[in-house]
Amino acid sequence: MTFRNPGTGDVPAGAGRTGSGRAAAGRTGSASGRPGGSGRDRRTAVTVAAVWGALVCAALVAGPLALRDRLPDPLATHWGSNGVDGSMSFAAGLAPSLVLWGVAWVFLLVSAAHGEVLNRRGGRAGWWGFLAGGSVFALGVSGSILLANLDAADWRQAAMPGWAIPAVLVAALSTGVLAGYLGRGEPDRPVEPGDAPTMRLRPGRRAVWAGRAANRWMSWLSAAMLLAGVVSGTFLLLGAPAGEAVWAVLLPLLPLAAIVSLVSDVRVRVGPDGLRVGFGPFSWPAFRVPTEKIAWATAERRSPAEVGGWGLRGLPGTGRLAVMVRGGECLVVRRAGGGDLIVSVDDAERAAALLNAYAAEAAAA
Amino acid sequence: MLLTLDLNDPRPLHDQVAGSIRRAIAEGSYAPGDRLPPARDLAGALGINVNTVLRALRELRDEGLLEFRRGRGVSVLSRPDARAALQEAARELLAEADRYGYGPEEVIHIIRELS
Repeated sequence: MTFRNPGTGDVPAGAGRTGSGRAAAGRTGSASGRPGGSGRDRRTAVTVAAVWGALVCAALVAGPLALRDRLPDPLATHWGSNGVDGSMSFAAGLAPSLVLWGVAWVFLLVSAAHGEVLNRRGGRAGWWGFLAGGSVFALGVSGSILLANLDAADWRQAAMPGWAIPAVLVAALSTGVLAGYLGRGEPDRPVEPGDAPTMRLRPGRRAVWAGRAANRWMSWLSAAMLLAGVVSGTFLLLGAPAGEAVWAVLLPLLPLAAIVSLVSDVRVRVGPDGLRVGFGPFSWPAFRVPTEKIAWATAERRSPAEVGGWGLRGLPGTGRLAVMVRGGECLVVRRAGGGDLIVSVDDAERAAALLNAYAAEAAAA
Repeated sequence: MLLTLDLNDPRPLHDQVAGSIRRAIAEGSYAPGDRLPPARDLAGALGINVNTVLRALRELRDEGLLEFRRGRGVSVLSRPDARAALQEAARELLAEADRYGYGPEEVIHIIRELS
């Protein structure tokens, strides 16, 4: 910044977010990106996931192949309340658990290699838990099907023991929890008020900030659900023969599409009266946090894995609420009464700086 | 996008909004290709009419700083050149000086002293 407007206090005093800093940091920004998981941790995670995932894939293919002589073809693959009621050819019977695991594996690898999920404790626990639990689940599903089919003369005689499914679920869940516990790593460095960026407000000036966060995938999802709901609703209205089951599936689609659309695009405003978060393309409904109720704010990188997923996330009574549109830069607001508000938004550092300036002004008044 | 309006600035409001956006782009808080918040949001945050903001955005488009695209909203096309950025800074300096009772000649004198 060679040319700074004389005496202009409009630039946050935060970490390197001036013009040249922004350009160097790139579009992802540099907002408080303290990586809790070092590069070494990340490499370890990726290596373990790659090797372990490949082993699981190999086991999912090699197991059935090794036992092929003792298995019927087709295989029994589905059991209902009256015993076995579904079968698939040998190859098709193999595929579901392999595909299930393959998708989860790729997702985990990509998120560890490129994402921020490993940077914080909650994300690390979730990632390791999902890796271990997911592989046990896939192996368990495949193994229990093989066990039921083993030495059966015909798929109709394959019996799935009643304990198999609960056992697989319990094993997957407990392995996941244990792995999450072991992989959680160091606690996150607590954010202190001293880390909060701020800026100078000048009398006679009105400073405001507006920003947004959008998730294109969620918008597409919402549009697809809306389309599916409208198309099938039209068919139903025109009198196409359809059972009640269709209604039961379709009717929830429209409200669900609306909800997903609302959290796929979030608009945030900061002004002298405080924070306003508006949902959806019309920025309505919205909620506000008045300046007096804000202790301080920071910009941090958070991932959906830490807050329990995308959308509006919170537990009543904890005072913690997250508006998670996408992983990455988030505005974190510590309320005066305790409790955090986390909102995904681009350029959150400036928003935090302005909020802190107004909060300090309100506290002084 | 951080915008500041000077409540005592005698310039028309749309000029001030345009100046504020120009400065935000010049400072690099928005890089070429970045999308601006919708005009409705900016207007809501500033507490002014959306048409005022739209007028400011059109001015900046005519300057070649912004581009309007159907369905994609308004995005930054290029950074203002050094001269335009300096002009904006100088305009603010003069406004600030005016508040302290200094005229342009005195500001020029101060600048001479500094350089």
